Amino acid sequence: MTNPPHIARRDPATVMRLSRLGALHQCRLSFMRQLTRRMARENWTFSRPAFEIDETGVGHAVYTAQGPNHAYSLVAFAHDLSPEQRSDRVIAEAWDATFALFDGIPSAADIQRLSQNVPLQEAGRVSEAELSLSRANRSVRLWAHVVDRLASGQQPDLDQIYKVGYLMRTTAVYGSGKFGAADREKIADRPETSGPFQAEMLSVYLTRVFVRDLVQHMARVKGGGQAVQLDPEIAKWLGIGNSTGLGMAPFIVNHPILFNNWIMAREEAIAKVRSIDKATAGEVAQFRQIFERSKLSVSWWRSEHPIQIEKLAALNTDLCAISEYLDQADLTKNQPWNQLILWAQNALSEEGQELLASLILEPYGELVDDLAGGMADSNAGAQVIDGAIPVGKVRDLIRGSFNWALDLNWNAAEHCARAWYVSEEKLEPRLGERFDEPIADYEQPLAPARDAALAFRALADWPDDTPIAEFLLRHPEHRHTVRRAQMSCVAPYGEIRDNTISAEVLPIDMLRAKLSFFGATHFDPRSDRWVRICMYSGAPYPEDLTDQNADLWVYPELAS
Amino acid sequence: MSYSLNEVEATAKRATRGAGYGWGMAEESGRATRWLCAQGLDGASELVRVLERGFAGSVADHMPSGGNTDWTGARDLCPLMTGAALSDWSDLLRAGPIRIERLARPMILIPFAAFAARCLNTVVTVRSGDFSAATDGAQLAIENECPAVAAQVLVTAGGSLTNPSALQSRATPDPAAWDMLNRFAHRTYAPATEESRLLGAGAGLSDND
Repeated sequence: MTNPPHIARRDPATVMRLSRLGALHQCRLSFMRQLTRRMARENWTFSRPAFEIDETGVGHAVYTAQGPNHAYSLVAFAHDLSPEQRSDRVIAEAWDATFALFDGIPSAADIQRLSQNVPLQEAGRVSEAELSLSRANRSVRLWAHVVDRLASGQQPDLDQIYKVGYLMRTTAVYGSGKFGAADREKIADRPETSGPFQAEMLSVYLTRVFVRDLVQHMARVKGGGQAVQLDPEIAKWLGIGNSTGLGMAPFIVNHPILFNNWIMAREEAIAKVRSIDKATAGEVAQFRQIFERSKLSVSWWRSEHPIQIEKLAALNTDLCAISEYLDQADLTKNQPWNQLILWAQNALSEEGQELLASLILEPYGELVDDLAGGMADSNAGAQVIDGAIPVGKVRDLIRGSFNWALDLNWNAAEHCARAWYVSEEKLEPRLGERFDEPIADYEQPLAPARDAALAFRALADWPDDTPIAEFLLRHPEHRHTVRRAQMSCVAPYGEIRDNTISAEVLPIDMLRAKLSFFGATHFDPRSDRWVRICMYSGAPYPEDLTDQNADLWVYPELAS
Repeated sequence: MSYSLNEVEATAKRATRGAGYGWGMAEESGRATRWLCAQGLDGASELVRVLERGFAGSVADHMPSGGNTDWTGARDLCPLMTGAALSDWSDLLRAGPIRIERLARPMILIPFAAFAARCLNTVVTVRSGDFSAATDGAQLAIENECPAVAAQVLVTAGGSLTNPSALQSRATPDPAAWDMLNRFAHRTYAPATEESRLLGAGAGLSDND
């Protein structure tokens, strides 16, 4: 018997539409799960060398994670923030808590230095010894509820915890050399931090421990002898929130190779699993169980935003349809996962399709987890333009990613209604109305489709066999577009196949695409350009982390 | 003060855009400035001196002719434009040297010679008078003082990399130059307006919940 042909990866023209990117879900390759699996496998140890927080909740704490070769320490500062100062935006200037991830174990002098800088965030400076800089604000209602309950000797109400999901949400986590921190190159060769955003994910993991300890401390201050210890089974459901504005959208446009590598790894994983001819009873049982657990997670997913309310309604309909399919299907034979994905293409919304695409990977860690090794961008050479490439080839490459955009009237108001810019106010990234606001002169290069159409037109009269270097001498204004076109040779999933400056663009789609790879759940848009999410809800705390619970924590399981 | 190389690259890119170059050239400039700083040179000062020349206002006058191996322009050549062309035309170096006339701030050309060296997988040497710089793409060996404007520069594939300087993971640019770069960069930031503050980031809802 011959093996059935390997199923190809999905077409970038399908995958890279904004509506689909805005429906992506976490999967086995997500960065948080990569980290927790590794820490368990390598028996990392954790300690809390300092917790010096006073009765008003002000002070500092240090949490150290020790891996096989390196230690990493979260240095946390707790502050007393007045309610009117509490803002999740970049323009905020004070926070409930601020953090740095220190590379190693900090000395007293390091902590003293950090105490003068970390609370200032962007207005301070960190050093090459720090790997990230971040801050978090309380979820005011849940914080008060948990403190009050514990102080009065009661456990918090689980429904409230499911509804909010976290006690604090980070409002920025800066890495890679920002504000003086170490460049990524410092840690890119270490196994534990070679993957994307592993230092940032570790910082958030340790932040969650600090927040749990801080809420306990405040309850003891308030309740004294009456206060009780937070039940670990309840603490488990407390994740860390994240509140994200427009900064993430430029990131995925400005890093086409990195973004390609994330999408490509997931698409390759999906293709591998779809190509499986027969599934064992054990694999099928595992899939069915994970599906049931993911339904529980979706049932806790709340949003007040009309767009997400509609998507959630569709997703819930999808879940019923999937259940019906699974009731009838024999998932053991005839490329069962491929059958499932093909059925989903016509039967489900994009939310449901992408949830299923992530879920079918779960029984196949041995087959797909190694793909995580290809998710970083180590291809610095791809930035260098090859000037010998002929004009005709560049034309073909532009057509490959942007054929749909070439005939669009890019002067029509609806196609270029928006412009991305950076405000001089704390350099906050923003999106504005090109025809109503004086922002066009400050536009950032975040409309690759429009720019590709302009370059394509400028190339029209150039012979196919002319080296592109000659064109660039006359048209340096198209240099960034030619560079992107060449990158698309090695990065087929590097370009978004939609108009990022149209009147209809939803930046939250771009934010969600990035956050889904972090492993985020419960996307809750606050507007078309702002989203809150939950991280690490259900994850084991360091003292409980084992190989058995390091991976599937993202799918909740109610204690029986 | 010490800066990360990522900060150098980001600031140089914005500054170059602020000085009127296109985004693609700004990207080249960011990478070039970072590369110089990684060699322990003050890339920020070099870049400021280029941006202060205002070449971007009359690009055509400061672009090399290209295509052959003798590069001249109507006026002093811009080292960013010339550097990008050198990187693009690095193939030409296989056949023989490239001669460049009247090049401003030749130090800025060297990172582009490094990008060419990486593509060709060989050492590339930049000479002007008694100044010479040899690079294999990663490391650099310099002899004598680099002139502010070079009457003639010769770029060749080949040469030897003796006593290359140690690579640096941080940059310590001249504070005045760093300040100037930030002033150029500031031109790319939209002025703060109330409308922009309210609408641009999509806030408006209270975060105090």
